Amino acid sequence: MNYDRPQELLKPVKRRFITLTFVIALMLELLPLPQGSNRWLPDFVALLILYWSLNQPRRIGIGMAFGIGLLADVVSTSMFGQHALAYSVGAYLILLRQQQLVMFNLGQQALVILVLMLLMQLLMAIARWSLGATLPGLGYFLPALIGALLWPLLTKLMLLPYRRERH
Amino acid sequence: MNFANTPSFANQGLQPGSRLLLCVLASLALLVGDSQYGLMEKARDAVSVVLYPLQRAANVPLNLAMQAGDYFTAQAALKHENDALRERDLVQSSHLMRMSALEKELQQLRRVNALAAQPSYAGVVAEVLYTGRDPFSYRLIIDKGSDSGIASGQAVIDENGLIGQVTRVQPLSAEVTQVINRNFTVPVMIERTGHRALLYGFGGGVEVRYLPISTDIRENDLLVTSGIDGVYLQGIPVARVKQIDRLGGAAFARVRSEAIAGVQSSRFVVIMPNRHPPLAAIPAPPAAASKSDKKSP
Repeated sequence: MNYDRPQELLKPVKRRFITLTFVIALMLELLPLPQGSNRWLPDFVALLILYWSLNQPRRIGIGMAFGIGLLADVVSTSMFGQHALAYSVGAYLILLRQQQLVMFNLGQQALVILVLMLLMQLLMAIARWSLGATLPGLGYFLPALIGALLWPLLTKLMLLPYRRERH
Repeated sequence: MNFANTPSFANQGLQPGSRLLLCVLASLALLVGDSQYGLMEKARDAVSVVLYPLQRAANVPLNLAMQAGDYFTAQAALKHENDALRERDLVQSSHLMRMSALEKELQQLRRVNALAAQPSYAGVVAEVLYTGRDPFSYRLIIDKGSDSGIASGQAVIDENGLIGQVTRVQPLSAEVTQVINRNFTVPVMIERTGHRALLYGFGGGVEVRYLPISTDIRENDLLVTSGIDGVYLQGIPVARVKQIDRLGGAAFARVRSEAIAGVQSSRFVVIMPNRHPPLAAIPAPPAAASKSDKKSP
C-alpha cells in the first residue's frame, strides 16, 4: 500500500488544518522540556514550512514562511528576523523545483529536506555569528538530521486525515 | 478545487525571486534593527501577548502530570519530607531571629552614625515557563511581567544562588538572561578572603578573568556577589571554584568555576527588587553628539 504518491486522489486540504499544524508545532517549542532537549529536538516549524510549501505551494509560499518565521523568532527568544530569513530562503528553494520534488519518493525527498534543513541552520548560525554570538558546535546540526529522518513519518501523518475511504 | 499541482494562469503578483529578495532584505533589516538598535521591543511585546495563551496551554499537560504525581505520592515520602522541612524551618527560624535582632542593631548604628538606612528586600516568586530554544543564548522565560512590577535589570535567584538578570520585560512574561550566557558579567568576591573579581559567562559556564597569579584563591572557594555594582545584593552565592591553572608565562590565573544555582534546572525563581530607584531618563543629547554614541549597547 503506497499512499505517499501524489497520484493518489486526496481530499482538498483545508486552510484550518494547515493553521492547526502550525499552532501545534509552535506549542511544541513552548513546552517546558528539559534544557538539553533542544540539542536533538528538530525544528518542527521549519519541517512544516518545507512540507506545506512542497505539497501546497499555493497556500504556503515565501511570504507566509517569512511571517511564521517572525512568530518562531519570538517563541524561541532569538533575534527578530533570524528564523524569518531562514524559512523564506527554505520555502524559495522548495518552490524553485517544486514540480520535480513532489514526484520524488519519500527517501529522495528526505535527502533534499536534510540539505535544506542544514542550509537553514547554517544561515541562522551565520546571521547570529555576524551579530556577535558564539558559533555553536557541530552538535547544532544534529536536529536537522533527525528532522530529515522524521520526514517520511511526518508526510504519512499529514496525509492521514485526507485519504479517501477505500471502496 | 485546490489540487496541489494545478498550475495557475492567473496573475500571481511578484516573481518568487523578487519575493525572496524582499523577505531577505526585510529580515536582514529586522536582525540589524533588533540587535544593534533595539527597535523591535514593541513588536515583540505585542506578539508575546498574543502567544501567551499558547504558552499557558503548552504548560497544562506538565502541570496536570505534576499534580497527578503529587496525588499519588506515598504517605511515607510525605512524612519524610515534612520532617526534613520542619527541621530546616527550625534551623532557619533561629537564624532569622538572630538576624532580625542584628538588623535592628544595624539600623540603630546607622542612625547613630547618620548613614542612609538600607531598605529591606522582599522578592517576587515566579515560575519558569520554558527555556528558549535558541542555542546561541541561555535564557529563561518566566510567568511574571510588567503586570507584577518586574523591571529589566532585576536580579533573579533560586534557593541556591544567583541565576541571572531580567533582560526583557513583556506585559505578562519576562526574559531572564542566565549567568552562563556569553559576556554576562557579575562583580563577585571570594567569600573566604573578600578579594574582589569579575565573573564572566562564556556560553555554557562561568570563569573568573583578570585575576593576578598571586591572588589567594583555592579550589572549592565560594564566589559571592560583592554588591558594589548597585544591581545585586551583597553575598548571593554565584559560583564555586573548580580548578585553578597558574601558567608560568601568563599574567593572570585561569580559574574555572561552576555556577551553583540551578541555572538549568530550577522551576521556581525569586526576582529581587532593584537596589536603587531607576535613574532619571538620560536627557536627549544635542543633535551633533547623537550620531557618535548610537552604537552603545
